[in-house]
Amino acid sequence: MSTARAERLPSSDPAAVRCRIGARGISRSFGPVRANVDVTLTVRPGTVHAVVGENGAGKSTLMRMLYGLDQPDAGSVIVDDEEILLSSPRAAIERRIGLVQQELAIIPELSLLENLVLGQEPGAFGRIDWKAAQKRAEELSRSVGVAIDWSASAARTSIAIQQQVEILRLVYRGADVLILDEPTAVLAPVQADELLGLLSSLRDAGRTVIFISHKLDEVLSIADHITVLRSGRTITELEPGEIDRAGLAAFIVGDSEMPNRPTTRGNPGTVVLHADAISAVDDRGVTRLDGVAFEARAGEILGIAAVAGNGQEELAEVLIGIRASSSGELSLDGQGIGRMSVRARRRAGLAYVSADRKQEGLALGLSLADNSIASPALKELARAGWLRPSAVAARVDAVLGRAAVRFGSASDPASSLSGGNQQRVVLGRETIGKPRVLIASQPTRGVDVKGIGYIHELLRRARDEGAAVVLFSEELDELRELSDRILVLHRGRVAGVLDGESSRAEIGELMLGHTSHASHDRPVEGEDA
Amino acid sequence: MIDLLLASAITLSVPLVLAALGGAIHRRSGTVNIGLEAHMILGALIGAVVSGATGNWAAGALAGLVAGALSGLLMNLVITRLKGNEIIVGLGYNIVMFGVIGYVLRAVFGVSGTLQVDGLQRMPKLVIPGVADVPILGALISGKDPLFWLCVVLVPVLAWLLRSTTWGVRLRATGASEPASASLGLRTLAIRDGAGIVAGALAALGGVALSLGTVGLFNENMTAGRGYVALAAFYFGRSKPLPTALACLLFGFFDALQIRLQTVGGFNADIISTLPYIAVVVVLAFTGIRQHYRGARALS
Amino acid sequence: MTGTATQGAPVAPEPTEASTPVGRRAATALGRVARHAGVPVVLALAIGALVLAVTGNDPLEVYGRLLSEAFGTPSRINATLAATTPILFTAVAAAFAYRAGAFTVGVEGSFVLGGLTASVIGSQMADVPPVLSVLLPLLGATIAGGLVAVIPGILRAWWGVDEVVTTLMFNFIVTGLAGWSVQSFFLAKGQANSSTEYVTENAELPALAPPGQTSIGLVIGLVILIAYAVWMRYSTLGFEFRAVGSAPRFSAAQGLRVKTVLATALIGAGVIGGIGGGSHALGLVHRYSEGFSANFGFTGIAIALLARFNPIGILVGAILFGALNSAGATVQLFIDLPVQIIDVLQGTVMIFAVAVFTLPKLRRLRAARAEWKRP
Repeated sequence: MSTARAERLPSSDPAAVRCRIGARGISRSFGPVRANVDVTLTVRPGTVHAVVGENGAGKSTLMRMLYGLDQPDAGSVIVDDEEILLSSPRAAIERRIGLVQQELAIIPELSLLENLVLGQEPGAFGRIDWKAAQKRAEELSRSVGVAIDWSASAARTSIAIQQQVEILRLVYRGADVLILDEPTAVLAPVQADELLGLLSSLRDAGRTVIFISHKLDEVLSIADHITVLRSGRTITELEPGEIDRAGLAAFIVGDSEMPNRPTTRGNPGTVVLHADAISAVDDRGVTRLDGVAFEARAGEILGIAAVAGNGQEELAEVLIGIRASSSGELSLDGQGIGRMSVRARRRAGLAYVSADRKQEGLALGLSLADNSIASPALKELARAGWLRPSAVAARVDAVLGRAAVRFGSASDPASSLSGGNQQRVVLGRETIGKPRVLIASQPTRGVDVKGIGYIHELLRRARDEGAAVVLFSEELDELRELSDRILVLHRGRVAGVLDGESSRAEIGELMLGHTSHASHDRPVEGEDA
Repeated sequence: MIDLLLASAITLSVPLVLAALGGAIHRRSGTVNIGLEAHMILGALIGAVVSGATGNWAAGALAGLVAGALSGLLMNLVITRLKGNEIIVGLGYNIVMFGVIGYVLRAVFGVSGTLQVDGLQRMPKLVIPGVADVPILGALISGKDPLFWLCVVLVPVLAWLLRSTTWGVRLRATGASEPASASLGLRTLAIRDGAGIVAGALAALGGVALSLGTVGLFNENMTAGRGYVALAAFYFGRSKPLPTALACLLFGFFDALQIRLQTVGGFNADIISTLPYIAVVVVLAFTGIRQHYRGARALS
Repeated sequence: MTGTATQGAPVAPEPTEASTPVGRRAATALGRVARHAGVPVVLALAIGALVLAVTGNDPLEVYGRLLSEAFGTPSRINATLAATTPILFTAVAAAFAYRAGAFTVGVEGSFVLGGLTASVIGSQMADVPPVLSVLLPLLGATIAGGLVAVIPGILRAWWGVDEVVTTLMFNFIVTGLAGWSVQSFFLAKGQANSSTEYVTENAELPALAPPGQTSIGLVIGLVILIAYAVWMRYSTLGFEFRAVGSAPRFSAAQGLRVKTVLATALIGAGVIGGIGGGSHALGLVHRYSEGFSANFGFTGIAIALLARFNPIGILVGAILFGALNSAGATVQLFIDLPVQIIDVLQGTVMIFAVAVFTLPKLRRLRAARAEWKRP
């Protein structure tokens, strides 16, 4: 491979090929969920093509099929104007297609240079020619205008640099189509700008880039073409010149308003949960929450809306105590709980429905009965350290009955139930003790439509019984249907607090980083735009 | 006196260094090798038998190496291909290997425990003229067997191999993150099997150093837990060749000191034998606690 | 490179059903044990047969002889049960910790120190009233066994330090300490090999059916086995054991006592191992000497894994391994067969108890064929 700066790739004559990579009428379903429906995509060679849409719009599913990780049920992938079957990533790589996943394949124990050449090291007879490798690495980073200290250990470099190395590794390995799944989600603004610069350098060098993003500014600034997906369907294909931010946002969330379902609102009482200036980092040490403050009242549902990766997950974990906050105060009925263990918080009246039902919400290998009683309240069912079978049986009946779980025998493993029924067990268990605060994180994820209605009912019931329900959801309609107020997080900060009746567009604007025009509970720090 | 102590410390650490370097390589590929003891005892037996049959120590050492490589592969296949837990497989493998060797000694050679091999050629002691009489230095490097010199060469060579060859880089990558390495197209299972072969071969050479070294016979208890000391050494040396070898020297020194004190009287040998293991617990506790306070996600 | 990531138990336990009647539960448990243990046992017998055949023995004859030596007469059954006793303790100890996902390999050390402690105390019981003369040494063994596991237990529970390597290291530390203390303080006079004095007669655990060697230690072991089963199923902390072992993240999110569970699991395994060592000393060998434990701690791991921690499976497994040990010890009186063949069989069972037997090639082939069928 030649290495001149801004080279044109010799592979195929860009003028001759109309569609370097794309989709023709692709459909893909997972059980009852239709992730892609008749999706069409045309990515022209030498362009940057953005794919935008809400969470669950089917973007990642589409990207996986373009890289051969998954195959369509109907329709087909197009490569170089040809309908082909990409049966595996290997087949995609042969077609010079590369994918940068959110989970980077960077090995922390190795240096960046070692990471770059790993698997295709220059040299002969097993000896690596480090000089040649270094030279090639420098040429690569220079050609796209980034500065990388190749000798640095990967463990000590930022995720932004690691991501650049991952992209350059694809180029090093000969890819000229680069698919990036939300590459900027994990980056700070400056880092994101640098990445966008890198992507446009790659385009200028003749490569083709597809990227998924929720950040409309960056999409409009860099993309040559934009495809909007909604509910698994292609909505439109645009060019940045044709549309502004608001217009694009409208395409993404759709302008259809909710059908007027009968929604009962809560009856907010006194403040129960008070969070002040909560900050926290994720497992990699990246700041995910930055001074979040809010209040939740008894008898209300406070919805928390955010695009994935903006701190929702971490906030839920900080509230229940699985994740430590780096600073800030948390109090329940005026009592500080920020330093308490999960056990103590639950005893004090917190309950938690985890977004990760299979690992955190349930012990799938244990029986339904065991799952129904697993909590610090276990003590109530025991005498002198021994479980009282009658009390246990009564509690199990109460939990499973409360949530109307359909099951065979309470001794069946939890894994034997459907997703919706599993979630009912969780909700039954978490609400049986009449908690002061119910933290519900993505409670309807992976649940079918009928099941969703029932879970909503359980949430409302908890609210009516006096709990402050903090509902984290990626489904805007769900939040609007249930919430009395909706707090929007953006980049780990409170972007605004809206009324539960707000329109999708209003919420969507805040989620995508606009400042709020609606009433705030408290002043919001200036947002980066 | 100090000369004698140093000379004996070095002699005692040669088997440790070989086994520990093998274990370190295996560890870098992602597997904790509990079976070093088994590979060592096999190497010791095969080395002794073949040296006796051929009258040539080098043939014995080579045969021991090959047997160890096969043994290392066999054990590793259960771990990589049958997904057996490395700890249990290693413990079980030791029991099987000592069982087989004890059985064969009695059933085939008709001896219990100790095998005197007729015509066994011991490894030569390489006396370096001129250096031999220099104090300290003479004790350090003169009068050593070839496997000592192999250790001296092996430490920098392994370090270089790990750093500068495709084999080494891919091995480290596999050990650090197997899924990521596999996603880059590395044949991680084969890489780990290769490391298992190296571990078996080197540990077996360590066994050869025991049976063809000073004593010149085979005894079924002659490894006396050295495989586990080697394990302690590569944990202590963080699986890097030089620190691992230095840890072995330290442990070899403990051993020499212990023998020395036994003859003089005073401190007890058994207590000194626990030092390597205590060292490992301390190191693990230290690194574990440090890592714990770095993590953000706390388990209640 | 010093990995401190912790590993779970190497095999998963079977789900427990609370409401099925005990009889049917026992039957299904036995069926499961047979299914899990079948392949490893058959493989071990095959490898043993290979070793036997290569060295000129008739495997079938040897196995037949082993069987009759293990169960042929009441006195042989008695000997088998005597050999079952120590590994019954160690198997329960391993299962106890593994149920909570704490992967200890340190029961061997607890067994040894428990045995030494019981022997030392037991040798001083001449003037102590009966019953107390047995209980005191056993109490000492219990404490000693637990102490061996305290450091690994605390390190694991509070700071997540990998318990596998620390418990393994403590085995060797204990061996050294035991050797040193015997040499320095407790050496019996006029003994060629290093061992302690015999325990006094009133400190011995009585034999169940003299002159057979099976002692009341077997009863203690069975009581502990039953206590293990009942406790896991009906106690609050036992419930938390199962939850933590089966779903650690779930348990943390539910506010269960994860730290308490892990520390209890490791230290408790040490305690049970210690009692086992004490019973072995007081009931069978009556003193501590070098080689006190014939890998009993590791055999216990193999049994616990084969049984998938199921109590009935543990009992069956312990008897199976006990039979091998007792038959191996006497079979050489009849045929010229080194006793080490027993180690070969036991070790092989241990190795294959954790192996996963699937046919990956077949699966891949099928996938490839499915791909071909696509247009």
